[in-house]
Amino acid sequence: MASTTEAAHPASLSLPRPIFAAVSPHPFLQAHLSASKSRQRANGRTAHEFRAPLVNTGSLTHCNGSAVVRLGNTSVVCGVRGELLKAEDAQGYTYTPPSNGDNDDTEEDDLEEERKELSTLRLLVPNVELSTGSTPAYIPGNAPSSTAQTLLTRLHSLLHSTSLIRARDLRITYTPPSFSDPSVPVEEQEQADDELKAYWTLYIDIFFISIDGSAFDAAWLALLAALQNTRLPAASWDPDFETVLCDDDPKKARALALRGLPVPASFAVFEGRGDWDESGDDKDVEDSWVLSDPDAFEEGVCREAVCLVVDCGGTGKRGSATDAVVRRVEKNGGAVVGRGEMRSLVMRAAERWEAVKKALASV
Amino acid sequence: MHPTTQLSPLHRADGSATYTSNGYTIIGAVNGPIEVQRRDELPTEATLEVNVRPAVGVGSPRERHLETLLHGALRSVVLTESLPRSLVQITLQVSGMPSEEGDCGVSSSLSILPHLLHTALLALLSASIPLSTILTAALVVIPSSSSTPLVSPTANQLLRAKPIRSAHVFAFSGDGSLLMNESDGVFSLQEWDEAVEATEEVCCKEEGGVGLSEGMEVDGREGGSLDTWLREVVRGKVNWEMRWKTAR
Repeated sequence: MASTTEAAHPASLSLPRPIFAAVSPHPFLQAHLSASKSRQRANGRTAHEFRAPLVNTGSLTHCNGSAVVRLGNTSVVCGVRGELLKAEDAQGYTYTPPSNGDNDDTEEDDLEEERKELSTLRLLVPNVELSTGSTPAYIPGNAPSSTAQTLLTRLHSLLHSTSLIRARDLRITYTPPSFSDPSVPVEEQEQADDELKAYWTLYIDIFFISIDGSAFDAAWLALLAALQNTRLPAASWDPDFETVLCDDDPKKARALALRGLPVPASFAVFEGRGDWDESGDDKDVEDSWVLSDPDAFEEGVCREAVCLVVDCGGTGKRGSATDAVVRRVEKNGGAVVGRGEMRSLVMRAAERWEAVKKALASV
Repeated sequence: MHPTTQLSPLHRADGSATYTSNGYTIIGAVNGPIEVQRRDELPTEATLEVNVRPAVGVGSPRERHLETLLHGALRSVVLTESLPRSLVQITLQVSGMPSEEGDCGVSSSLSILPHLLHTALLALLSASIPLSTILTAALVVIPSSSSTPLVSPTANQLLRAKPIRSAHVFAFSGDGSLLMNESDGVFSLQEWDEAVEATEEVCCKEEGGVGLSEGMEVDGREGGSLDTWLREVVRGKVNWEMRWKTAR
């Protein structure tokens, strides 16, 4: 049987490869995936293979933090810039200093409260921009396309739902000096409540140089790397000037303490079709493949897409699907991935988490 | 409580539906198949266009995201191949939201998503667009205080269940396969599995099956799954259309 297909292929594949891909993308990918020996995708990767992220941080000098991330031909620049929001301009939310001191907030109630603080004051402002020519689908000069707006909404909601940034890092508080007895030790003088004077607002701009699939993964990795790279200058309230002063000593600038490391993994589900093969070989029709980290060509062919965001940092065991903490599941467009398949996908996402963690740590 | 719905309330659109459930009121209209702009034309299938209009103000990136989600889900339901080179336009106008919606602790795009999906499907049914299957969806939340999932909670119940650990929306096709899933929060795979199971029970439990939740049949005819409800709506529609034949 194999010999007949081998003999049939040279005749039917008389078109050059890129033209075959452009004219009939679905059979092209199916021919690649169902080839008996290699089972490779059209881009040379196996179905489970992710593209290794290339991360470079601190490339933009005018930002507080920046990163360039490449996933194959998808390249993204992310810049984080902090701006001061004065307390009198911060309306809609009143900050109440915690009464029980500065313990490490992990309670669900406190997270909820922080989330509310960050979102009502809009302290995190992500923006997504696609550069001209980044993707053929993007027409320059128009309003932001629905692709860009969808990406932005997903990034924005993930940023808030994971509580990645601590509100503590963004508050600029001032402790009024207490004019009590100077003989009392300093620790006991700190009874006066901290006054909130200003907030840092983080403008997170994400710029796509080119998009070749998995745009969300690349954007989120760039955002993570840029936030890890962010150094906010030491800001303090000056009671004499009645304004916030920033220290220009870079040594005093402090980094953001991010909560966990949520890492996304995108998958595309390719459903084989039975009717493409004229040789009548319907042995393995109706097969489907779940492709990790799809490129633009594969995203165009596949209808069903799954995006998992996992964080394995908090758990003891590594790489096991039952222990991985899932932060988000987005699945749409088809019914191939059910409950059984989701388990293996979480496993693959957990492996991806390890790889991304290494890549981010090495910069 | 099952949603209440009325098919074809708008006489100018090809198909329409009003839908009320858990405080959300949505009007959906479908026009199609109509002529498609050349830029959006697909040679082998119909183009779907989904427009979501919020209750207040103009559309924002959030609505664009909802449109993308609905587009993906509906494309796997509509038989687009049977209407090549045409456009099916779906417009969903949110006209009422529960007043507690803003601070119930669940992302508002998740809580409205099942209702938008149902409305879109009902409007498509009303317009007699060929569909390969039906679709039922529900929101399920897992509060941090207890591990029992709350399926299709009202905004008031959400408010009382706060803080919420994770929120999920699952959509199932007529044959019970998982068509769509949006989950958010902190959860393990096991919790996710439990949430799917709980939603499956509400969405597509077979009528007459030995279900565990006999309590559902307390409100008399409100028993049964969303699937049963949807089939009942379709039966009503077909009965109305065939009345000239059955009236004899």
